[in-house]
Amino acid sequence: MGEIYRQLGGLLEHLGQKRIAVLHLFGAEIRFDVTAIIMSWIVMALIILLALWLRRGLRQPVEDKPNRVQAALDMLVDLLKKQLADNFASERLAAMMFPFVSTLFLYVLLSNWISIVPYLSSPTQDLNVTFGLALLVFFISHVLSIRLKGVRRYLKGFAEPYPFMLPINLVGEIAKPLSHAFRLFGNVLAGTFLVTVVTAKFLPVVLPPILNIIFGLFFGAIQAFVFAILAVAYINVAVEE
Amino acid sequence: MLQEAQTVATGIAGADIALAAKYIAAGLCMGIGAIGPAIGEGLAAAHALDGMARQPEMQGALLRTMVIGQAISETTGIYSLLIAIVLLFVV
Repeated sequence: MGEIYRQLGGLLEHLGQKRIAVLHLFGAEIRFDVTAIIMSWIVMALIILLALWLRRGLRQPVEDKPNRVQAALDMLVDLLKKQLADNFASERLAAMMFPFVSTLFLYVLLSNWISIVPYLSSPTQDLNVTFGLALLVFFISHVLSIRLKGVRRYLKGFAEPYPFMLPINLVGEIAKPLSHAFRLFGNVLAGTFLVTVVTAKFLPVVLPPILNIIFGLFFGAIQAFVFAILAVAYINVAVEE
Repeated sequence: MLQEAQTVATGIAGADIALAAKYIAAGLCMGIGAIGPAIGEGLAAAHALDGMARQPEMQGALLRTMVIGQAISETTGIYSLLIAIVLLFVV
């Protein structure tokens, strides 16, 4: 009985360790976290393979009764369209940004969900991944704002409604991607951490699957949805007249 | 002849104080940081329930908005958790 706990203790040590690959390029070193990169590619391959596999279920005439794959995909596209993309300020913007927001949601959802498989970890467990996604949303919102409003109105927008609000607006703009990234990172890391500590120190048998369902599946889905809908909200705020 | 006075280590040294302070700080950080989000999320659920009782047909939209609001209100609690984890395992 004690032997099991000793073996599980290795889980806790592994939690703090990272495999870092260092690339020496023109005298500077660039460091990569190998686990996050490999898991990121695995999630991307999983999304593409799922899409290709589910396509086969869609190959039937339109008049037939919809089969299970069609019904499930209908629900998914309904969620993506009505809950995420239709919240955009204009229909043109919704049509333009629908692929981006859907991909963001699906990527974050699958990377949160993949952590319940025993030897795999989420790419979103790494702050670099979540911060990269938040920076992506930040750049998209500001570039769209400049394109739609012009440079002068964009710059004047920081001094709205009063000129002394300029530093407050600037800090707010910087705080948005920071909080966006930290929310997702903190939730996923805390979930993984809790499950690992409970498995290694408390009860390795009945509790880990229950905790995985709660923290991995349920909270992971909620955080993915919150990430995507906040991306929509930030883009809306940047583009509004 | 005077010999050099030796300091004998009795009691608590500097490293022990730092370790104890780390644990106390991590506990305080997460403990106090858990109060705010709990109150905020409870308030959000209470007002969502009021709305649902008044207009049962809007239940879906109210539920979704409540969940989003609660997830955002949770954020500062997650910040406290991150600081507690950093205090325990990194510092």
